[in-house]
Amino acid sequence: MAAAGAEERQVLAQRLKAAVHYTVGCLCQEVEEDKDVQFSKQTIAAISEITFRQCEIFAKDLEMFARHAKRTTVTTEDVKLLARRSNSLLKYITQKSEELASSNMEQKEKKRKKSSAAKGERTPGEQEAAVTENEDSNMA
Amino acid sequence: MAERGGRAGGFRKDTVDRLLRLHFRDGRTRVNADAQLLVAELLKVFVREAASRAARQAQAEDLKKVDTEHLEKALPQLLLDF
Repeated sequence: MAAAGAEERQVLAQRLKAAVHYTVGCLCQEVEEDKDVQFSKQTIAAISEITFRQCEIFAKDLEMFARHAKRTTVTTEDVKLLARRSNSLLKYITQKSEELASSNMEQKEKKRKKSSAAKGERTPGEQEAAVTENEDSNMA
Repeated sequence: MAERGGRAGGFRKDTVDRLLRLHFRDGRTRVNADAQLLVAELLKVFVREAASRAARQAQAEDLKKVDTEHLEKALPQLLLDF
């Protein structure tokens, strides 16, 4: 049982490594165009490996931060804490987090308008309930 | 959702989720949607920094081909910044 679980985990890890390698390749291509340089295959593989290992550190930190806040779900607050070591990085991540929050608000607003237009007149309380229901089904 | 889930040139949201969950010690730990997107952004910055710092090192040595030795030189500071 345990051996099968470990093997499954290994297969998943390999697939994720492949996914990371692919994305790193794409991002490196952008840098190549920007800076007029060329990355050797080994360099791209090394960046992928570093990124994959960095993910492990990120994951363990995020889990600890969430647990410290007595949560089992990692939130954007935990991610902001992850970016604490560099000032400019923290600023950038905080700004991105605010952008995400405001785009969520906008979407909620749109849905609210849509649902109130579609369903005609309803009391505000009922509308609110309809919006949250919609959102849950979309997120899944 | 589609345009945010599969953002061109970055990490996909569900890839990030699986990557994180692979390393969690407690199977009950979850990552909310915004946090997934934010970690994807953080990873993108990490990779771009790794690549551009290695590229800058190669350029400082008057080379156009970036090799692992250039990455090696940029690595300590990169890891201190993240």
